[in-house]
Amino acid sequence: MLKTLIEAFALISTWEVIIAMFAASVYGLVIGSLPGLSATMATALLVPVTFYLSPIAAIATIVAASSMAIFSGDIPGALLRIPGTPASAAYADEAYAMTRKGQAELALGAGVWFSAVGGIAGVLSLMILAPPLAEIALSFSTFEYFWLALLGLMCATLVARSSPVKAIAGMFIGLLVSCIGIENPGGIPRFTFGITDLFGGIEPIPALVGVFAVAQVMRAMLTPEPPPLPRRKFGSIMAGQWKLTKLYHWQMTRGNIVGIIIGVLPGAGADMAAWVSYAMSKRFSKEPEKFGTGHVEGLVEAGASNNASIASGWVPSLLFGIPGDTIAAIAIGVLYMKGLNPGPTLFTEKASSMYAIYLMFIIANILMIPLGIAMIRVAAYILLAPRSTVMPIIMLCCAVGSFAIGNNMFGVVTVAAFGVIGYVMEANGYPVAAMVLGIVMGTMVEQAFVTSLIKSDGSILPFFERPVAAILAAMAIGALLWPVMVWVWRKVKPPQAAAATGR
Amino acid sequence: MRLPDSVTGSFLVALGAAAAYGGWILPPVPGQPVGPNVFPLVIGTGLALCGLAIVFGIGHSFEEEEELVPLEDGQAAAPPPQGKLYGLRALLPPALLLFYVFAADRLGFIVTAAIMVYVTSTALGAKWKLALPLAALSPFAIHLIFGKLLRVPLPAGLLPTPW
Repeated sequence: MLKTLIEAFALISTWEVIIAMFAASVYGLVIGSLPGLSATMATALLVPVTFYLSPIAAIATIVAASSMAIFSGDIPGALLRIPGTPASAAYADEAYAMTRKGQAELALGAGVWFSAVGGIAGVLSLMILAPPLAEIALSFSTFEYFWLALLGLMCATLVARSSPVKAIAGMFIGLLVSCIGIENPGGIPRFTFGITDLFGGIEPIPALVGVFAVAQVMRAMLTPEPPPLPRRKFGSIMAGQWKLTKLYHWQMTRGNIVGIIIGVLPGAGADMAAWVSYAMSKRFSKEPEKFGTGHVEGLVEAGASNNASIASGWVPSLLFGIPGDTIAAIAIGVLYMKGLNPGPTLFTEKASSMYAIYLMFIIANILMIPLGIAMIRVAAYILLAPRSTVMPIIMLCCAVGSFAIGNNMFGVVTVAAFGVIGYVMEANGYPVAAMVLGIVMGTMVEQAFVTSLIKSDGSILPFFERPVAAILAAMAIGALLWPVMVWVWRKVKPPQAAAATGR
Repeated sequence: MRLPDSVTGSFLVALGAAAAYGGWILPPVPGQPVGPNVFPLVIGTGLALCGLAIVFGIGHSFEEEEELVPLEDGQAAAPPPQGKLYGLRALLPPALLLFYVFAADRLGFIVTAAIMVYVTSTALGAKWKLALPLAALSPFAIHLIFGKLLRVPLPAGLLPTPW
């Protein structure tokens, strides 16, 4: 093993790899922090560059850019309440509330520190737990996947501050949007109304940019400019992080574990990890009432979780060629292109390459701390700029970013439409994040649902027959029905309470 | 734009019913018990049920009013100015995005982007001294990042960029 490790070191200690990794890190930080440009997009735009690189340098750019972009999505989330990447959407409100309370350093510092810790935990999982975890995930059938996806969707209702019924409605709207297009079990145009642009369906990224960024600019049009934050130099970004680590060590560990598990499951990536962890953090917190008002606890757990899932998402990708998330899907393409075909043999025949990947992940996460701090300091100047200079540029980024996804203007129309939808929904208490989750996960949920129904010949019973499926089903149905149950319970309770006090 | 729950709930019932109907009329896949119609049917039904629950106020008691983070000392927010058509200002950003869709190919990226930036900036209260240089410089900066570095094909139109 030591020999392999030395070989791996030799592989990565070339100038080409070092420069590629550094440049990709800076690139990932910049792209992730631009609202509307996701980590997936950052990685996808890198693929043409990887043509010109050696296999290890190519993988290094993907590892570095994706890890950095997932973290730097937190920066505009905290400073402007516009999450840079979907994985930051779960806690952007919380981080922004902290900034408004004057705790921007703490929020951003927690972002960079716990992201790095989570990333390293993810790599350790990739090294130690990869084979057994992947085996468990592989034993899941579509029935388990269906319930698991449904549970993931239910997380949106747990974190919502509005009525759970409205959150579930928002989620259904998102699922309905995901039905649009020809990507369905019959391969026929569905809800396209004869518009050819709709055949490809609604991409999650323009929808997300619309509801988060454009709707924010729309709100700015009607609200008076908030008083500027006191002009002060940003203090130490890392101050207080060690204290937070000691205080919230259990939340951090739980975030890492949840992120690792979600990362390993094919199809569920950093976005879902952040949502689930933020929901868990609120659910098990000793001070749940502080959530949403600028409380760091959820940031610790979700920030650790989304970065942990990035590395562990490579587990099924490397072992079986099944992508853990969209970034891993792109990485698989590059692996094939570079002759590092994913599969169990990769671990035996090209062990040094595998170790090189582990080492690159560790280096990327260590590099994240100094580079992340530098990026935060640059980005913090956004806070000093008046809204009338920042918002027009965000609008322009929305237009160009959404155009860039498919190189067609339909993306820009989608962004505009979802801006209006997001604005109306938020004004009426419907959480837009629940809708986004529905759009992102809709295709996966439908695939698992329809494949399961085809396997069971239309019968519902097999959805509950396998023990793991039954447990997941009970949890998902419980989460779906609890608002109604609490409502009924409250309706029944007052007369009894009155009778008890009367006695 | 705040509508009563009965209105939004009824809209969801109608949307759910339309989705379920839209699913219902989709052709099935021959020889397969389930096809593209099942998922819209399930979602439509769910959406309609949620709409009904919202109309009847189920779950309303969970709703929390958004807590505003207290301002720091010495800061006071001005009350929003009110007018009859004031609410329509919110539609300016999506309208400008549609303007981009229709104008970018003819006018080119730089000119269209400059108009968008100028209009948005002045609508948000910037004086021309700030809005004009912003509109003149920011399209070039964005073009440099997206057009030159990320190789997004942005239309040249009337005013091509020097690179």
